[in-house]
Amino acid sequence: MRRKIVSLVVGAAMALSMVACGTQGSEESVAQNTATAGEQVADSGAGASISILNSKTEIQTQFEEMANEYEEKTGVHVEVYNADTDTTVASQIATKYASHDPYTLSMVDPKDIYAVADEYAYDLTSEDWAKNTKLGITVGGKLVGFPFCVEARGILYNADAIEKITGEKFDPTSVAKLDDFQKLLDKLVQGGMEKPVGILSEYWSLGAHWFPMVYEEQQDPDAFVKSLLDGSGNLMENEKFKSIMDSFDTLIKYNYAKGSASNADREETSMMLAEGQIAFMFGGNWDWSVINQYDYTEHLGMMPVPQNTTDGSNFNIVGGATKYFFVDSSSDTTDDQRKAALDFLNWLVSDADGNAFLTEKCALVPAFENIKADKLDPLSLSVKTYADAGNMIPTYNYLPDDHMTVVGQEIMQKYLDEAMDRGGLADAVTEYFKSATPIEH
Amino acid sequence: MKTNTLGYKLKQYLLFAGLTTIIFGSVVIVPFIYGLYLTFTSWNGVSRNKPFVGFQNYANAFADGGYWQSLGRTFFYSAIAVILVNAVAFLIAYMVTSGVKGQNFFRAGFFVPNLIGGIVLGYVWKFVFNKALVELAGNISSGHVKSLLATESGAIAALIIVSVWQYAGYMMLIYVAGFMSVSEDVIEAAKIDGCTGRQSIIHISIPLMTASFVQCLFLTITRCFMVYDVNLSLTNGDPYGSSALAAMHVYNQAFVNKNYGTGQAEALILFVICAVIGGIQVYVGKKGEVQA
Repeated sequence: MRRKIVSLVVGAAMALSMVACGTQGSEESVAQNTATAGEQVADSGAGASISILNSKTEIQTQFEEMANEYEEKTGVHVEVYNADTDTTVASQIATKYASHDPYTLSMVDPKDIYAVADEYAYDLTSEDWAKNTKLGITVGGKLVGFPFCVEARGILYNADAIEKITGEKFDPTSVAKLDDFQKLLDKLVQGGMEKPVGILSEYWSLGAHWFPMVYEEQQDPDAFVKSLLDGSGNLMENEKFKSIMDSFDTLIKYNYAKGSASNADREETSMMLAEGQIAFMFGGNWDWSVINQYDYTEHLGMMPVPQNTTDGSNFNIVGGATKYFFVDSSSDTTDDQRKAALDFLNWLVSDADGNAFLTEKCALVPAFENIKADKLDPLSLSVKTYADAGNMIPTYNYLPDDHMTVVGQEIMQKYLDEAMDRGGLADAVTEYFKSATPIEH
Repeated sequence: MKTNTLGYKLKQYLLFAGLTTIIFGSVVIVPFIYGLYLTFTSWNGVSRNKPFVGFQNYANAFADGGYWQSLGRTFFYSAIAVILVNAVAFLIAYMVTSGVKGQNFFRAGFFVPNLIGGIVLGYVWKFVFNKALVELAGNISSGHVKSLLATESGAIAALIIVSVWQYAGYMMLIYVAGFMSVSEDVIEAAKIDGCTGRQSIIHISIPLMTASFVQCLFLTITRCFMVYDVNLSLTNGDPYGSSALAAMHVYNQAFVNKNYGTGQAEALILFVICAVIGGIQVYVGKKGEVQA
């Protein structure tokens, strides 16, 4: 009998603890779901509470500091979530939507906007900032994407390293033609810099940054990609393909990692450019976050990819807005929250503190004409100079999703390693497009 | 008190395994069934609509050449890694149970790699292959030497080397337990009957340790088939995507190329293959087990 009582007591205790766990859990999830409602009461009307997904993980600290200051000033509580780098941004947003607890503001890549536009993105057409930018994303007549920052790619150079050998001031426009660029490279080699070029071997650099220039610098990129998709396009006879790949051949010839080029280490390549052991590297202004880890020399910059062409594209860098905010339009976000989110976006564009956050604290190139930015890093300054002068070719955002892995890793890495010739490359890319899934836009 | 009624058994079960059952159900069974459901839709990963497409994803998976290539690669990698891991583990287990000096120190030492997470391990070895070994080989042969990771077959070889290094210590522990479980009496009896050391291992110890072998083979086979972390940090599919194993291909298909349905279907096929191989192996192994 006693044993029975003991077992009953133990059983009851366990059951109780389970119930306790259960209610605690559900309370928590309720609390999370209605975080706004609860905190609004707590703030006694001082403002709503919004959540932001930050997918530029390198500026998370700045974002959190800004959130505190923003709350002090406006009373709006801003919770900033750092995107998980182990998985894609889209899958994190999906998780939040599945649990009916979406971010009020989500920072995503341009392509992601199209996936969410119809169901979840709020119409921003009538916002004040809309007239100050040409880079917003419009889907089905609705302006849904707020351009957060501008990024561009081209050839990064170390002017100090070049000038040390040539003895004269380096002017990027003097090497806009590939032939002139080649002459400079030869001069550098003669001057003792054995291999003046670095090429990143990562598939995103080859497949999402270099090769897309073949499409982006066409007269009509969309028509060209469509012609590849329906099999009517001919890469080998395309002038732009020839021109871009000629330039790539030159880079390969002078690549410091020649021999095991597809195994080049990004950190090492960036370090060599920073310290002037190499003079050129293909990349973008985001590479500054790697370069500034090293003992970099003073005069770095970005220039267009040199090409033997007369279409003027060798005086333009390629770029555009790379991160966009969209505001959640679902019923899981209250009108107060949405208003607070819209105010926040306006604050970024039209408030001096908001501007300073973007350009000084985060060191980003703003996508808005009215924002001044003169304290940027050298690479971003180059981007801003080209962008302000209108010398920027827009990025093409509608490449099939697997373009980066297939063309970047399986095809371009082989070409980089000289394990595939030009004809093989053209055939492989043509073959890839036959089975690729086009992006609706 | 009656102990063979259904009610009593149920109560006992709930008392001791109820919580685990609920957790297992909610984090393994439910997602598995939900995943199964997703393979029949063309969900884009974000939308609330999950359009039903029947067996389209499976058709895509079967038509995905890259998937079958990566699966073939996984078979090759697993076959070699499983044999090497177990051979090495058995040998070091024999060594550290044969009474060498400082055997406890060796046991701990060999086990340590298993405590390092796969991602970190991959980065450490990447440095070893790309920098240390290249530098070393360059000094010896005085010329530019390609890193193992820069060639197609080299990258797979590197994966195998790292896997052996990582798992051998863990499997060693199981073999050590196996060696310890073989009774001294039997060994002694064998000795008296004139068995040499080698004979007693082959004819006495190994048959009595079949359970250890079954366990180790099962663990290594399933781990090798599902490997992702080391693959990601050591090679990330480079060069040319030639070292992407099945799990990585599935992940890229779903999350990089955003074909969730196809990726999920491919994951399910991988699961079935693993389950079948694991099942056969355990069944065959169990049949061969010897009772002392």
